[in-house]
Amino acid sequence: MIRFVLADLKRLWAGSVVIVLLIALAVALGVGVSLQERALRLGSARAAEKFDLVIGAPGSETQLILSSVFLQPSALPLISGDNLIDLSEDPRVDWAAPVGFGDFHAGYPIVGTTTTLIDRTGSGFAAGHIFDVEGEAVIGSAVDLAIGETITPTHGRLSEGGHAHGGVNYTVAGKLNPTGTPWDRAILVPIQAVWHVHGLGHEEDEDHDHEEEEAGHDGHDHDHVEEAGHHDDEDEHEHGHEGIDPDAPLGEHWHRGAVPGLPAILVKPKTIADAYKLRQEYRGNGQTLAVFPGEVLTSLYATLGDMKKVLAVIAAGAQLLVAAALLLVTVIHVGQRRRQIGALRAFGAPGGAVFGIVWLELFVLVAAGVLLGFALGCAAAQVLSGIFAAERGFGLPVAFAAEDGMLLLVLLAVAAVLALLPAVLAYRQAPAEALRG
Amino acid sequence: MPSLHLDDIAVTFPGLAAPVLHVPALDIPAGDRVVVVGPSGSGKSTFVNIITGLERATRGRVNWDGTDIGTLSEGARDRWRGANIGLVMQDFHLFPGLSALDNVLLPARLSRVADAAMVARAGALLERVGLSRPGQKVETMSRGEMQRVAVARAVLRDPGVIVADEPTASLDPENGAAIGSLLLDLAVQTGATLIVVSHDPRLAAQIPRRIALADGRIVSDTIGEPVA
Repeated sequence: MIRFVLADLKRLWAGSVVIVLLIALAVALGVGVSLQERALRLGSARAAEKFDLVIGAPGSETQLILSSVFLQPSALPLISGDNLIDLSEDPRVDWAAPVGFGDFHAGYPIVGTTTTLIDRTGSGFAAGHIFDVEGEAVIGSAVDLAIGETITPTHGRLSEGGHAHGGVNYTVAGKLNPTGTPWDRAILVPIQAVWHVHGLGHEEDEDHDHEEEEAGHDGHDHDHVEEAGHHDDEDEHEHGHEGIDPDAPLGEHWHRGAVPGLPAILVKPKTIADAYKLRQEYRGNGQTLAVFPGEVLTSLYATLGDMKKVLAVIAAGAQLLVAAALLLVTVIHVGQRRRQIGALRAFGAPGGAVFGIVWLELFVLVAAGVLLGFALGCAAAQVLSGIFAAERGFGLPVAFAAEDGMLLLVLLAVAAVLALLPAVLAYRQAPAEALRG
Repeated sequence: MPSLHLDDIAVTFPGLAAPVLHVPALDIPAGDRVVVVGPSGSGKSTFVNIITGLERATRGRVNWDGTDIGTLSEGARDRWRGANIGLVMQDFHLFPGLSALDNVLLPARLSRVADAAMVARAGALLERVGLSRPGQKVETMSRGEMQRVAVARAVLRDPGVIVADEPTASLDPENGAAIGSLLLDLAVQTGATLIVVSHDPRLAAQIPRRIALADGRIVSDTIGEPVA
């Protein structure tokens, strides 16, 4: 029976291929949508899980998370550096680390931070060691640089009108293991170096306008006039101000009033209760904003969820159309094969065998389409994730869940039922009537 | 070998005043060889359909060895036909994509009765009908070769009755004659009842008993000397 089915499919291979592709594309659409949505959730959750509490200046919570956790360049307002001192001394805080943004190297964001953050959030070193002096840098696993290479930071992305910081260089000291987060694409340098590059933190009575300047360190939505102004601004300073001393030791114990403004502080509270208390405290004071990345993501997912629903409806509509087309094709198919089916019956083939042949043939087509569709959907999701990872810096893991297995089973079951109809049609035909055609 | 007894057979269609086929009584004893002749529309095809159980008569009984196949369920009739009747049709009804051997074996396989002995028999039959390449795909064969495959398929399960509906009509005279002889030889050899519907005078002349149909009725039933 199987040989007969295969011979038949081979004979009608062009039509079979079209049917299989039709089904595959419809299934791939549905599978791709759900896989990609899940990948986005998993990937972003993974990126955020290391950071319990993020403290920044009042403004958009989403923007704060996107910038500090997902390292998307944007102009964050600054909070007073004293907050870092307060948090470091707070008994409810396990650790608190500042982050400073604005510079890039070859498209990779340079993030100023502390050894604490790298120790606590990284997954260990693949090679080399953590930065020991001001001129050393640690690179994420996805940064295409080697240990010992020199990094010249540019203010803003060169492609977006950034300019090079003259005379400032870092040397790559270590490379981290992959974490699957945007930080894999980051170049981590001592925050002290970032301040010094931008002429901050040398003196306690640093000009206020520099903090403003820090706020604009995104190089993204600045226009050229402002960039030019920025230049002039910097040129007013002595070069001793802008630039780092590559061999200067790192001091990560700062004094109140000596810490420049910060775009964000990443905080690890000791307990969940502490986390809520800290958030309460740093949220209500009008100076700062405290958010749980997970919470912000949840509200983002809610929005994404609505989009997914729309897409799912579209995908379901496409599948419905394909199912209808498929039914039409099979009914025509059976009609065209009336003679063949009649002949099988006339030569004594049991009705069950005829039924089986028609059912099997259709089921093989649909099942092949469904399986191919899953493969295509998965491949499409992988490709999209790859593009996303290349552009945005964090991986979207495409993973199958139990519900995908269920979807597969349901689709196959529907296919099995769908194939019954023409099989019944074929079974019910009187052989003589069929032969007469 | 089964013998056929038709009793008060009538096949009518709604809207048609006269029955398409009306046979008050007909006996074809086991091992008999019969040719059914008549102009088109005389009810020949209906006759074949009725005696093979492809179609159910409106009235009357089709008795094969005491079994009224009209009372069998459709599935049972299919099974009965598969086991007892070897069918040869005007347009072969072979299945493209399958080899000659697979075509011969297909009905037996679908009925789950094809064992090793039957596979061997299928090969021998193909040789018997004059085909040397059992693995050849049927769609690449000539019409004469195709009908040979169909004949081999018909006799594979050693049926008691061979029914051939215009077996030579779509063949050239040479192949037609060869197929006619083959059917007769096989029937003689196996002792099977042979019922041929044909308007091929050369084939008809080789068969002793001749039933003529016109307007759905038997107008003559004669036994003559076969012309060898």
